[in-house]
Formats: sequence, C-alpha cells, structure tokens
Amino acid sequence: MAGLVARRIVLAVPVLLFVSLAVFLLAAASPFDPIHQYYGVQIFDASAADVARVRQQLGLDRPVPLRFLDWLGGVLSGDLGVSRSMRRPVADVLAERLPWTLLLAGCGLALAVVFSLFVGTLAAWRQGGWLDRLITALGHALEGIPPFVVALLAIASFSLGLGWLPVAGLTDAGSALGPAQVAEHLVLPAAVLGLSQSPWLVLHVRQSLLAAFTEDHVTGARARGLRERVVVLRHALPTALLPFVTLIGARVPELVTGAVLVEEVFSWPGVASAVVTAARAADYPLLTVLTLLATAAVLLGSLLADVAAVLLDPRVSADG
Amino acid sequence: MVELDSHDTTAGEHRSWRSAARVRAGTARGTGGAARARLRLGAAVSVLALLVLAALLVPTLSSAPGTVDYQAVRLSPGPEHPFGTDTSGRDLFVRSLAGLRVSLLVAVVSTAVSALLGTAVGAVSGSLGGWADRLLMRVVDAVNAVPHLLLGIVIVALYQGTVLAVVLSIGLTHWATVARVVRSEVLGLRNRPYVDAAVSSGAGRWWVLRKHLLPAIVPQAALSAVLLVPHAVFHETALSFLGLGLPPHLASIGNILSDGREGVLLGAWWIVAFPAALLVATTLSVSGIAAVWRDRVVPTRRSELAL
Amino acid sequence: MLNRRTLITSSMAALAVASTSCAAPSGTGGGDPANMLLADGYEPSSLNPLLGYARWGAAKFYDGLLAFDGNGRLRPALAAEQPRPSDDARTWTVRLRRGVKFHNGEPFGARDVVATYRAAIDPAYAATISSGLSMLDEVEAVDEHTVRFRLNVPYAAWPARMVMGILPASALAEAIPQERSPLNTQPVGTGPYRLAEWRRGERMVWRANRNYWGGTPRIGEITVVFATDDNTRAQRVQAGEFDGTVLPPLLAERVGGGAYRTVHHDTADYRAITLPADHPVTGDPAVRMALNLAANRSEMVDSLLGGHGEPAYTPIPPSMERFHEPEARLEFDQRRAREILEEGGWRSGSDGIRTRNGTRASFTVMYFADDTLRKKFAQAFASDAGKVGVRVELAGVDRTEAAERIGTDAIVLGGGTPLDPDPQMYPGLHSSMIGTGTYRNPAKYRNSRVDAALDAGRNTVGEAERARHYKEAQRAYVEDPGLVYLAFIQHSYVVRTGVWNGYQPVVEPHTHGTTWGPWWNVEDWTPKK
Repeated sequence: MAGLVARRIVLAVPVLLFVSLAVFLLAAASPFDPIHQYYGVQIFDASAADVARVRQQLGLDRPVPLRFLDWLGGVLSGDLGVSRSMRRPVADVLAERLPWTLLLAGCGLALAVVFSLFVGTLAAWRQGGWLDRLITALGHALEGIPPFVVALLAIASFSLGLGWLPVAGLTDAGSALGPAQVAEHLVLPAAVLGLSQSPWLVLHVRQSLLAAFTEDHVTGARARGLRERVVVLRHALPTALLPFVTLIGARVPELVTGAVLVEEVFSWPGVASAVVTAARAADYPLLTVLTLLATAAVLLGSLLADVAAVLLDPRVSADG
Repeated sequence: MVELDSHDTTAGEHRSWRSAARVRAGTARGTGGAARARLRLGAAVSVLALLVLAALLVPTLSSAPGTVDYQAVRLSPGPEHPFGTDTSGRDLFVRSLAGLRVSLLVAVVSTAVSALLGTAVGAVSGSLGGWADRLLMRVVDAVNAVPHLLLGIVIVALYQGTVLAVVLSIGLTHWATVARVVRSEVLGLRNRPYVDAAVSSGAGRWWVLRKHLLPAIVPQAALSAVLLVPHAVFHETALSFLGLGLPPHLASIGNILSDGREGVLLGAWWIVAFPAALLVATTLSVSGIAAVWRDRVVPTRRSELAL
Repeated sequence: MLNRRTLITSSMAALAVASTSCAAPSGTGGGDPANMLLADGYEPSSLNPLLGYARWGAAKFYDGLLAFDGNGRLRPALAAEQPRPSDDARTWTVRLRRGVKFHNGEPFGARDVVATYRAAIDPAYAATISSGLSMLDEVEAVDEHTVRFRLNVPYAAWPARMVMGILPASALAEAIPQERSPLNTQPVGTGPYRLAEWRRGERMVWRANRNYWGGTPRIGEITVVFATDDNTRAQRVQAGEFDGTVLPPLLAERVGGGAYRTVHHDTADYRAITLPADHPVTGDPAVRMALNLAANRSEMVDSLLGGHGEPAYTPIPPSMERFHEPEARLEFDQRRAREILEEGGWRSGSDGIRTRNGTRASFTVMYFADDTLRKKFAQAFASDAGKVGVRVELAGVDRTEAAERIGTDAIVLGGGTPLDPDPQMYPGLHSSMIGTGTYRNPAKYRNSRVDAALDAGRNTVGEAERARHYKEAQRAYVEDPGLVYLAFIQHSYVVRTGVWNGYQPVVEPHTHGTTWGPWWNVEDWTPKK
C-alpha cells in the first residue's frame, strides 16, 4: 500500500511538471501581452517609454526559459506569484477561495453518491420494469444536458418560480457571512452539481449490481431462498461498491468541469469561478496554479480510488 | 468513463463485469431492440440532414445575415420573419441557421483535428511499442489528468476571440480518447496470425501498418470522431457561455444566445428559443446516429467510448 | 465599460423581470438612512491610486489635493486653497490643509504628497499612471504644509492631475512594483470612508471615517454589491434589494419608477472611430470627410443609447460648456458625402463599393470583443459607411491584437474626462504624440492649426484665454477631421428616492459606477426627516 502511494506520487511529479511547462509555454507563445493586464485602462494614455520601463521592472522582458525557472523556483519556495486580475498574491486567492470550492464540491459529490446509490439500486432491483426504464432513460437524457442548463432551470424554478432559495452568491446582498446564510445559498448549487454528476453514477451502480447478481455468492444467496431485499443489500451491493468507489475517484475531471460551470452560474466565490475570471483577463500566473491544482486533484482522486479498491478487495493489486 | 482505463488491472476487471451485464441486457431485450434502433436511426438521420441542408442553403440563398436594421428591431415571429428578428433587427431565421453552420463547422473541424491527432498518436504508439509507447501514453495520461474544459479554457484564454483558438481548444483536448481506442485496436491486431505471418515473411513495419492496421483502425477512429461531435458542440457552447468563445460579431449559436439575453428581458423570447432548439435538435440527432452506429459496429466497446 | 458577460444569470433575471414575481427581497436594502446598499457592475481590481484607482477623483477612501465640484471646476480638498501657478505655468505651489489624519492615525503633511507623487513617477514602483505625469520634473516640500511641483514644460492643465488620491508616506517606504503592494486590497487614505470589508466578487463595505476633515459622513455604512450582469442588477433592484445601481439606459428606464428615480448624467465619455492616416483609404481627406458626414449620429444615439447621449463631432462635449465650440459640427448629409467621394475620385464599382485607381474603398474597424456597446457602434458605423459606398469590415479583438494593428486598422475608441480639455484633446490629436504610446494619437493625425491651438492652451494660465484656444482647436479639427467622433454617452443610474437629501447631478468621466454617479458626493448626503 505504501509502495503504491509512493509510486503514484513519484509518477505525479513529471505529470505536474509537464502540465505546468505546457501551460507556461502556451502562455509564452500566446500573442497576449501581460503588460496590458498590468496596466488595465491606464494603457490608453501610457507612453511607450513608460510601458517599456514597467515591463522591465516586472521582469516581463526576460527570456521565457528564465521566466519559467523563476516561476518554478518561486513555487518551490512557496511564492506562487501574483494574480494580475485580482492584484494580490495567488496564495491569498487560494486561501480565500479554496475552502468554498471544497465545501461545494464535497457536498455536491456526497449528494451525488447517496442519490446514485439509492436510485441505481432501485433501478437494478426492478430491472426491466417501468421504474428501471424511466430511471435509465432519464439518466441518458441528463447525460446530454450541459450543467449550466440544469443550473439555469433550477434557478428559474426554485429561486424565481417558487421563491424557495436565493438566486446566487454566498450570502444575501446586505447580510454578514454566517453559517445559516451560507447553508441556504449552498443548497441549490450543491444540488445542481450533484445532479449533473449523478447520471453516470446511477447507470454505473445499476450495471454493477446487475453484474453482481450473476456472481456465485449472490445466485447462491438467492438459491438459499433469502429475501430479495437481503440479497440486494447484503450480498450484491457490497460487490458492486468496489467499481463504484473507483468510478468516483475517476470522475474528478467531470467534477471540476461541473464546478467551473456551477460556480460561475451561482456566483459562488470559489477557485473554479476564479478560473473563468482569470481566463477572461488572461491572468496566467493564477491560471497556471489553478490548472496545476486541478491536475493534482485528478491524480489524487485516482490514487484514492485505487487505495480504496485495494482496501476493499484484497484480490485487487493496483499497479500490479 | 474512459478514465477507468488508466487504472490498469482494476479497470480490466470492471470491463469484464460490465460486458457481462450488457450481454444479459442485450439478450433480454431481444429483437424488438433492433427495430427500434432502425427507427431511431431513420429519424435522427432525417432530422440531421434537414438541419445541415438548411444551414448550408438558407444563409447562402437569403440576403446577408449580418445586415443591421434598426427600424426592424425585435419583431415577433411572423410570415416575413419565421423566427422573428433580434435586438439589432437582423432576421433570426437566417442568422440562426448561419450560426448553426458556424457552430457545426467549428465542431466538425475541431473533431477532425482531434481524430487525426489521436489516430496518429494511437497508431504510432501501438505499432512502435517499447519506450515510444510508454512515453506517448504518459503524455496521454498528462492530457487526461487536466480536466478538458479547464485545459480548453487555458487555451482560449491565451488566444481570446479567435475561431482558431476555439478549434484548438477543443481539438487539442479530446484526442486522447481516440488515441487510446486506436492504440488498443492496433495492439489487438498486432497479435493476429495474419499480421504475424506478414511480419515473419519479411514485410516492413510500415507496409504492415498500411496494409493491415490502417483499414482496421479507420472505422474505429471515425466512430470515435463522430461520437466527439456533440461533445465538441457542447464545448463550444460552454466556452461562449463563459464569455470565452468565438468573436462576438460572428453569427454562431453561442453568440446568438448570448446576444439574445437582453432581448429576452424585453419580452422577445424567440431570440433565445429558436436558436436553442436548433442546437438541441442537432446534438441529439448526431448522438442518436452515433449511438446506433456504435452498437452495430462495436457493441462490446460501448463503455469505453461513452463520453 | 460594458462587459459582454455570459448567459448565466440573465435568463433567470429575464424570467423574473418578465413575471415580476421575484423572490422575496432580503438584506438590509430598504431605505435605512444610516446604511446604504448599492450594486455595481464593475469591481475594481486594485484600490491603489498608483495603479489608477479613481484617478479622476471621487475616490471615497482617498482625497486628492483638489476635487471636482460637479460643475466643471476644481475645488480645494487636501489643498487649503487653489494652487498658485507661476506665470509660465511651470511651477505650482500648493498650501496644504492642516489637522488632517490618515485612516491609520498618521497626520497628513507635505511629505505624504511628495512621497505619493514621487512614487507615481519612480520606475521602481511601476505605477501605471506615470505617463499622465510625464510633465512632472520634481516635487518638493517647501515646509511641512506646503509643496511645490516643478514641471518640465508649461502645463496649465496641471490642476487636473491634482485630483489623484494621496497615500501616507509610510505605505510607500518600500520601492516595489505596486502589484505586490498591500494598498491594492487595504487602502489607507484620508477620505470620507474607510474600507471595512472586501469579499472579492461579492461586496465591499465602506464605513464612515469619524475623523474626516470635512465632517463625519451621515451615512455610516455603504455596502457595494458586485453583480456584473446588467440584467441581474436590474432584477434585484426591481425586487427592492438595493438603494441604487448603474444600468444601461434602456434597462434603467425600465426599472425606474415607484420608489426609484432614473437619472442620466452627461459625460465627457466619447466613442469614436479612428481613421489611420497611413491607410490608403482612411488616409484620404475626401474619405475622412465623407465618413464624418455619412455617420448618422443622432440615429445611433437614439437606437443604441435610447436617446441618452449626444452626437459628438470633436472630443469636447457640450457639457464642458466653457470649452465647447458649438459651431464645430459635421452635419449628417449622405448625399454630400457621396459628392465628396466622387470629387475625390472614388467611383462606384459594380458591387456598390467605390474604387480609385484600383484601390477599393474598404478598411477594417476593430472593437474590443468584450464590449457590447462598442460592437454596436462599430456595426452602426459600418452600415452607414456602406450606404455611401465604403466597405467596413469588423474585427472583434483583444487589447494585444488591437495594439499591434492600431497603426493600420481603424478602432472604436472610448474615454474622456471633463476635468480639463487638455487630457481630452492633446494626447489624441497633437502630432507630437504620434509614436509615443499605443493609444496616443493612434491614427497619426497631423494638423498644424490644431497643434498650435493645443500648445497655446497648455501654455496659457488664464481660463478665458485657454477656452479661446480650445475652441479654435475644435474649429480647425472639423475642417479636417482625422477620426469620426460618434457620440458622448450618458451614464444611467437608478436611485432610491425619499430617503436622503443631497443628490446633485455631475458631469462624469469615462469611469463610472458607484464611486461616481449619483453617489459622487455621497459623503455630503443627509437623511430626510
């Protein structure tokens, strides 16, 4: 187990380096000139000489390889650089925003897992019945609807139509930050994020359960005349859980994609919506770090999935 | 679910479990499924053909879609303007179809970029084997390790407001899927007796690749490319949704929807409704066709190709 | 600047406004006279004056030496009285107000003014406003309460540069590029409000400065909520959530009424199309004049701005009364425009586009892709140009691409400040500015009469005399236009009525939002009984 973790971490280093170099090179090859970001609207009456001086002051005139090494050295020594669109250190931006994203993504994922286990089990149990068909059809349909459409529909119905939940933000306009306010504002984005992640999970739970029904110990349990509920919950479900856990770990990329769209729609002040802000402003010091963060999350997700798989089922030997 | 493949051993086991389930489901459904699939295919093909034909012909035959007419702002749908007009007085029927043409073109071109890149990488990786294979698969891992939309955002952010940026943003992020499919196909073929026979009778590696491997992998690559099209359309819409898409004066579905926000507020629902309906009809028909084809050509690979 | 934002909240805003059955209003926006709740569409990226925050005044956290009085004049703020220029307008002496304290308790004095202006021009601080102060040679403290600015050229418009916020010398002790300065997020000034809280992307809370030299503001707390989407703000105002916000004119009209009043402020904020002098088509005087006559400015104002703007012919708006030349006009006349093109040798081709000696009358107009209003002006201009046989291609570009192509392609420009005609005209039209910066006379306009008048305006201290020079500059310009000035846009707001006294209309610069707008003098507002 420790070996698995160590191997994965060693493997992650070149991937992260590759990704950061790739983003850095993309940025360097881009026609976008970061000096415009630094100047903002002041560029309109800036003189060429002053702009050149500032460029030099900021080190933007140094060759790309040196700038990459500067940046890498900074990151390794704990200085993540300065976000040009937010005018503050990237580390501050992360410290302020990451907790909100973790809260949202955690709640969304938890909702998706509970929901999918329940609905997926229900579908597999009633395999071929109208309930199963309905769930499967809805699942496939939902796979095809982009999360932002789901989000808009949710806001239109629950916020504007029924008036149950706030439209967007972390708190109401004039209110102070408090648990009750945040909880109220969290419901809709977390539900949308969870719902947009669930079709794959539901269909997967259903399929694994169907597969589990054919395994010896389950057919044996059936043959022994155990009640259907016991067969499904006690015998089939645990077998089906293993691939499910792995799938959750592997779905981190989709979770990130969902978070970007959901945070943006709901003006949720997390790191995922900062991606969009940074992108609009071509703020690549921030964009690079956020990309690395997402990559690290993906790698961590797949590692956790494998660790869980090994723990749950000794027959599996990951990286074997 | 492609990501599963990166979990070497465990993934293999899951796949076998799942295919077992599929086989059972398939037999349970029986022949009724085939008839339904034919019907579905027919419907999807005719809807798509109609849409593509309209997108190609209508904007060409009609007057220029870019004409601004402030005397005819926000006219509701009627005989003269079947879809109404937008906030700048442009006919929406023509503009939406012109937009559909642009959106489809962007999706198809970027899919082609993905497919070519993926096929090349997959074929090279699978046939060379050894360290080249390992290196290329590491690159595939790295590309897969960055969420596609995020990587796409990084690319468009740096080349904002150009068609090329959107094409690259989609093309450069989705090839890894194709590469994996093609590689595993090549690996499977390499071990076939006739390939072995050809190699042992002294045929060159490239000859074998051209003669035996290419014909076998082209359908695979083409199928995964078609499966990418709805995804590419979604990708383009999402980028426009985030304000990072095509140049804003260009008629594309994403831009029209974006322009239509103001109109909706003033009661002109048609500015959003019709282009959105066109978009949904297009993606649904493409994925309908792809799904039927997938089930027919490679039934067992369903799980790998699902996007 | 109007952002082209995402679909996002708009559809739901649309739904809400259409049905007017909005979610229950919440929060404290309900006309509590001690608190004010505003919504802004634009969130500043930095609160540091050295990076351009509130460079034309109304800074809330800061005071300048001078402040705008709303009627086109500057009044003393941290200065104790009007600055005294030398006869050649090269030396300006300013006596400072006594007894003023910064938010952190430090006393304000000459060394703070010196430190602020020195940091603004010292390359080590990488201040983005340095170019606007290029005429500043040295600033020195005459005594603890007097400073003297020495300029390297005569510059009568110097007071317009004295509205910039003054920082405490202690905050500028370290000479670092200002992107790393804590002032970006934690402003320290002498202004009527101090920053109590700033949650990025969400809101900012200003709390009254009890030690303010102008008296403690009566509105004790002002919360500014950031909502970039215009439709969202409109919807939330309509739900009664806010005490006011900035909106595009048509939306403002729609939302106003009942408890809200819609106000439209005149500005010096112009939109213009550059006509590059080096381009074979736009460099031709006949084309330049014809395009100026072909542009239907009043229709643009009506259809793009809902009537809330004014046709522009030169960069000086009618609202800058003392400097505006009403005779400097270019009347809409497309027939005359066609005649001028014919006389200039541009003949109609088979496709309706004119040509001259094989050159097609065609050029490209760029606009910033994220700016909806500029896109619309570009489209309207292209349509008008087409009517006289000149083909205009459009290109949505980002800042970098614009900078690369600005010498050869036309672009939609925007900007302006009502503080003084010099910053409004000189950088854009004086030939000495060619090649000194991307947006300085980008079209390479040269006219010796305009140059002479603008120079005279800089060198003359008396106001009436200066006005004469600037009027002459406008008359000379319209005889030989090098851009197509299209319109001055009004800025539109909705404000809650019946809770406070003190609203006073103001002529605004390009910057707008909650620091300007009806709230430019909010520190002087008082609750209604």
